[in-house]
Amino acid sequence: MMELAANTPAGSLLVLAILLPVVGILLAFALGGRSAERIALGLAPLSLALAVAIATAVARAGKPVTYMIGGLQPPLGISLRADGLSATMLVAVAVIMIAAMLYARAKFGVPEGSGESRSALTFWVMVQAVWGGLAMIVLSSDLFNLYVALEVLTFAAVPLVCIEGRPEALVAALRYLIFALFGSICYLLGVALFYGAYGTMDIILLSQQVEAKPVVWVAAALMTTGLLAKTALFPLHLWLPSAHSNAPAAASAVLSGLVVKGSFFLLLRLWFYVLPALQAEDVMRILGALGSVAILGGSALALMQARLKLLIAYSTVAQIGYLFLVFPLAAGAHEWSHIGWGAGVMQILAHAFAKAAMFMSAGLLAESLGHDQIARLNGAARALPLTFLTLAISSVSLVGLPPSGGFVAKWLMLQAAVASGQWIWSAPILIGGLMAAGYAYRILTPALRHGEALLKRPAQPRREAIALALALVALGLGFTPESFYDFIEIGRPLTMGPSP
Amino acid sequence: MSALSSVLLWATLFAPLALLAACFVARWRTTALALQWLAPVPGLCAGVLKLTNATSSMETSALGFTWKLDAPGALLLAVAALLWIVVSAAVWRDRAPDDRFGISWLLTMTGSLGVFVAGDLVAFYLFYALVSIPAYGLFALTDDPARRRAGAIYMAFAIFGETVLLLAFAALAAFEPHGSVAIHDVMAALPTSPWRDVTIGMLVAGFGMKLGMFPFNGWMPLNYSVASIPVAAVLSGAGVKAGVIGLIRFLPGGAPLEGAGIAIAVLGCVSAFLGVAVGLTQKNPKTILAYSSISQMGVICAALGLAMRDGAFASSNLAFYGLNHLLVKASLFLSVGAIIARREPLGGLSLVIVSALALSLAGLPFTGGALAKLSVKPYLDGVWASALTTASSIGSAWLMAHFLLRLKNTPDEYAGETPAAIITYWRAIALGAILLPWLFYPAVGDVSKALEPIELWSALWPVAVGAGLALAQRGFDNRIPRIPPGDSIVIYEIVFARVSALGPALENLDTRLRHWQVTGVSFVLITLALLSAAILG
Repeated sequence: MMELAANTPAGSLLVLAILLPVVGILLAFALGGRSAERIALGLAPLSLALAVAIATAVARAGKPVTYMIGGLQPPLGISLRADGLSATMLVAVAVIMIAAMLYARAKFGVPEGSGESRSALTFWVMVQAVWGGLAMIVLSSDLFNLYVALEVLTFAAVPLVCIEGRPEALVAALRYLIFALFGSICYLLGVALFYGAYGTMDIILLSQQVEAKPVVWVAAALMTTGLLAKTALFPLHLWLPSAHSNAPAAASAVLSGLVVKGSFFLLLRLWFYVLPALQAEDVMRILGALGSVAILGGSALALMQARLKLLIAYSTVAQIGYLFLVFPLAAGAHEWSHIGWGAGVMQILAHAFAKAAMFMSAGLLAESLGHDQIARLNGAARALPLTFLTLAISSVSLVGLPPSGGFVAKWLMLQAAVASGQWIWSAPILIGGLMAAGYAYRILTPALRHGEALLKRPAQPRREAIALALALVALGLGFTPESFYDFIEIGRPLTMGPSP
Repeated sequence: MSALSSVLLWATLFAPLALLAACFVARWRTTALALQWLAPVPGLCAGVLKLTNATSSMETSALGFTWKLDAPGALLLAVAALLWIVVSAAVWRDRAPDDRFGISWLLTMTGSLGVFVAGDLVAFYLFYALVSIPAYGLFALTDDPARRRAGAIYMAFAIFGETVLLLAFAALAAFEPHGSVAIHDVMAALPTSPWRDVTIGMLVAGFGMKLGMFPFNGWMPLNYSVASIPVAAVLSGAGVKAGVIGLIRFLPGGAPLEGAGIAIAVLGCVSAFLGVAVGLTQKNPKTILAYSSISQMGVICAALGLAMRDGAFASSNLAFYGLNHLLVKASLFLSVGAIIARREPLGGLSLVIVSALALSLAGLPFTGGALAKLSVKPYLDGVWASALTTASSIGSAWLMAHFLLRLKNTPDEYAGETPAAIITYWRAIALGAILLPWLFYPAVGDVSKALEPIELWSALWPVAVGAGLALAQRGFDNRIPRIPPGDSIVIYEIVFARVSALGPALENLDTRLRHWQVTGVSFVLITLALLSAAILG
């Protein structure tokens, strides 16, 4: 049962976690583009430390850490709240962000003696804004505050797509922007309906009051579809392949690994934290079915792509589909919902790390070879061994082979599907795995064959190592201890179904 | 459990893993790969220790997994380790293959040894994947179209098998009441699982793909005919036994299961005779050996199915049958290479040895094969079963005699693939394969029974009949229709091509779906669907 808590001891850490990126952005503007990089990289370790401190505080307390802004209780005030899931996300975001920043230094760094560039300033500011937006999304406990966070995230992500200023990137960014705004409006409409009906936008207060009535369903349906559009769930994926494949590699890693998870996280908040009492099993099934279509459609399209970055982008469309199986598999207060919840969270993490590593590798590959045509990869593994090791390890996780986070996610999902009697979901899970193996095979086997790949630019071992480190995290998630699955349950209301 | 056995079990896993870790350092890589023939030594010792001291339990945990060695695992582990030692040492003694090959070899070896000691579902799945997937790198990383085709088909079946097993294992784990994933616990819970028959079906299908069981047999002849001699030897010998240990570990044997048992027996029987029938139409000795593997694995499945029907499951006996096949099939591949490399007419002692080795698979008296037949005989009683067993022995003898007659057709290129040490010592290796099973048989039965006159006669006459049939076949061999190697695979390829042809249509569909108007409609439809589900639900 969730109760309204007053400030918990570590509560002020939550404010800091959101403020730190904001401080970074303001400093970057104040001190100019030349120092933007140093500011971002200097603050990043602090943010990581904060994330770890928050996670530790949640684990120690065994319950969520909360903070009331201005000391006001909701519904008057706005509260921040870190539970097991948000603390986990916060740490994952910090790790991937730091990796992406270190990786981006080669491209957006401003070496001594060179003038400041607009693209560098944009990158370092926007990447921190993405970080701040994500921190706000995982920590806010207020639907309107979450709307603001969502907008911050969108407005920070769009410039990252078109930072290089190429025409096709601009078109992609514009599509992304318009569609994301459309999604935001729907979300905002839903929030307004909730506010009209209950006079509060606080997640916990709402969860205690909501009942199954038309206004709630309309609000929920609008918010859900709006968020689906932002998450690019097939067939609402019109913007994702072009946006993710046209962005520079460091940005693609952040967009594909983290940003789509931001709006997905809101869906989790909506259905598992605001509305769990409504037992909307049919809605859960529809979301699961949409996810299944995404898995099959995205994987099949990934199999057809001629360019590596597009293949990886379509693979994201498929992997997002897996996330939506969490709805039918973790709803309710059954024994298997615990397994399904673990599977969903593991899928978020495994995909975030593996996909970020893949996009980074694809970027290095394109820089070194001068192209990313899959048909011309013959012999490339000999020229870029570390890059292909990273691609191979990430693929192991995407396909769901052990030991990897992707394996654990599929393994738990299948168990939940079997145990809950919803065996039908095992079909997309398994077929998606087969097709993932197919597209991994398309990338890896030609590269491992004989052949001379001409390097236009030598390999960059340091950046390769960053991508490899992320891939190894995806692999290491395969050894997640049992206690992690209890940790991510902290603060999750289990009020669906007959209470145990 | 003694400290020694604990250390050995631990080292069985960590010796290959340590070498693998060493491969990440560029300057150690060559040395690590050259030393990998030592990696299976702890496995060999662990297996032998377990067999000589059957009562001691060998179980330990590391990396969060359970590792366990029982008698059937020990039988297969010991000889698989031996095979890996011999072949790896011979291959690297000649010249170091390139790193891709070396690392694929090491990964496959790690998996091959690991499956025999894995004590829980996840560990088993991990090593099963290792013994299956990296093997691709042992033969398919070339531009040769035949190898690429064989590689793609091999990979498709490997991944498909993994997929089916994943669901089967998830079903096993989901119905274990205490959340344990230890094989022992999930198998105890299987008989009462609501998904029992489906799970058994998926397990048989999954492991059947590794064993080349009908209708999943097509990859095996393609694989073995393009793989080099040492690779074919380790894959057909040690690699395939991952499927055998899988069936032994995961099929329930405690209580009679009539329906499932008979179904498995029938499938095994079909494979056993299909392997012989198609094998007889083949000319390349490697392909014939592949079809013989399909047939032999079919015999194991048939015996296993009948044992399941009766609830009389003696896993060590089945493992022993696998052990004999492991030694004989690997030695046969090595002999094929050695004989062609020596470029001298086969005669005298060499002919006797290679014939005895080949006919061992048909149960020739005094060979290990006679013991193997004896070890599964208890499950094959009854009129039908014993008639089919005799027919299968005749068929095997026919196929193996056909193989011997076809040895002169061995393509010359295989000579270059055979390591020098194998060429020199092939007769010793073949003799070892014929005789070693006698050393291991006491673990499953009484050796003296194999030497009784009645047993000798019942083992001998089917071999004689089969050999006679093979000689007779020479008269009409040219009129036999040639079935392409891989038989049913042609059908799968047609289906795959049809499905792939849908690709462009799908891309068109995607382009349409990503139009603004269409996306807008999708958006509205999804909202309405959610709304109606919520309100009506």
